[in-house]
Amino acid sequence: MQDTHTTGKKKNIWAFGTKQVVYAAIGAALYAVVTWAFNIWQIPGAGNVGIRPAVVIPMFFGIAFGPIVGFITGFVGNILADMLSGYGFWLWWDLGNGVMGLIPGLFSALIYIYNEKKSILLGEVSVVLGVALGMALASVSEMWVSGADINTVIFANFLPAFITNVLWGLVLLPILMVAYAAIVQRSGR
Amino acid sequence: MLVAWNYRYRNSPMDHIDPRARFIFSFAVLFSATTTWNPNILFAVFLIAITWYSLGRLTWKDTRLGWFMISIMLFTMIVVNTIITGGGAGGVVPPGGQLVWPDGVLIFGKHLNLGLTVERLWFAVSQLMRILSISLVFIMIPYTMDSRAYGVTFSKLGLPDRLAYTMELSFRFIPTLARNFQVTLDAQRARGFELDAGKGNIIQKIRQVAPLLIPVTMNAIVSSEDIANAMDLRGFGQRKRTWLYQLKFQWWDWAIIAFSILMLATTLLLAYRFDMRLFSVPHWWYGLFN
Repeated sequence: MQDTHTTGKKKNIWAFGTKQVVYAAIGAALYAVVTWAFNIWQIPGAGNVGIRPAVVIPMFFGIAFGPIVGFITGFVGNILADMLSGYGFWLWWDLGNGVMGLIPGLFSALIYIYNEKKSILLGEVSVVLGVALGMALASVSEMWVSGADINTVIFANFLPAFITNVLWGLVLLPILMVAYAAIVQRSGR
Repeated sequence: MLVAWNYRYRNSPMDHIDPRARFIFSFAVLFSATTTWNPNILFAVFLIAITWYSLGRLTWKDTRLGWFMISIMLFTMIVVNTIITGGGAGGVVPPGGQLVWPDGVLIFGKHLNLGLTVERLWFAVSQLMRILSISLVFIMIPYTMDSRAYGVTFSKLGLPDRLAYTMELSFRFIPTLARNFQVTLDAQRARGFELDAGKGNIIQKIRQVAPLLIPVTMNAIVSSEDIANAMDLRGFGQRKRTWLYQLKFQWWDWAIIAFSILMLATTLLLAYRFDMRLFSVPHWWYGLFN
């Protein structure tokens, strides 16, 4: 296996060439399709929040291909998913989803071998940070838009979104990382 | 699983408006509606949004799913958070005020003190006008804008070519990936996979999604290598990109852009220069409860 760790090359996580354009487009489309397929699971009583196993996709694309790809996967993917479902545009939630991919993307600089314990641990930390920052950004914007107070924002918007997204991310990200490690090894990327 | 975009050509006035002008107008409504809680300004913005929505000639059948989701959101935001608990108004409406039912109400033979104030009730009306204004202009976009127009629209609005092309490409991938998702789901079901088997604790339930999510994601990544190579062979990114779908401003597009700028500037001026930014209750509203 010829990975950047063994060859000693540093990863350029901010590159955005042809490959990253395609990965970001595929990631966004995948996020939209899987979100749309699972959109029937809404959390009753929680504002603007649905249960989405697909949230792991921007996180994983961030870890695998860097912060720009992670951000676009979350941001554009959420726009496309809302368009497919006919919900319109909710820019602040789109940005929040983008941040959920961006933060794990920043950790991608430290991750070389995807099935290593250390890499998986870093991935899990990035999930918690990414979801916390992304959902905080989206939830706090509800104060500006709907005039809610901080308690309502925390209990009706942030916590339902944070808890469900972080659970999906923590459980599914390691599985995706291990599966991707096998592909990297097989294809010698 | 077939993915169908909600857009279809209706020969409505909206079909003849340039998408760039439409996005500029929609964002002007968003910022105008969120700048102030003044009821007069919110009502004016709400009327403008209704007029804009009517230009799309959308039917209830077209948009009912979207409105259903927005109704759930509005119910939570306005009925639960503002009227029942009061937390939704806590950031704007000062505590205290005139009670709607000062002597309480009799519900199912029980005397209840709801604590709902006239001010909070007016705030619910203001919230409704604000959120509906935003929803009206944004919910119609997927139904009235051709999916081929997004890439070129954002490119012409100043987004770098690579980012605009990423958006364009993601639209193209959706039908293929939806098909792959369905094929994988069918294949896994043939092996006895059940998505909603309902067994085990929450972690086990989440893990049940993995046999579906992993093959779909990994297949997508593997196939993207071929697409990237094909794009490189065709010289992608070597010079400025041209777009098959062309946009051209008409005089009415310039008029819409001018109106958007004027609307936003007026709202900002009224809100910040003439101090009409804060929440206030009109006198006639109090009269309804005396």
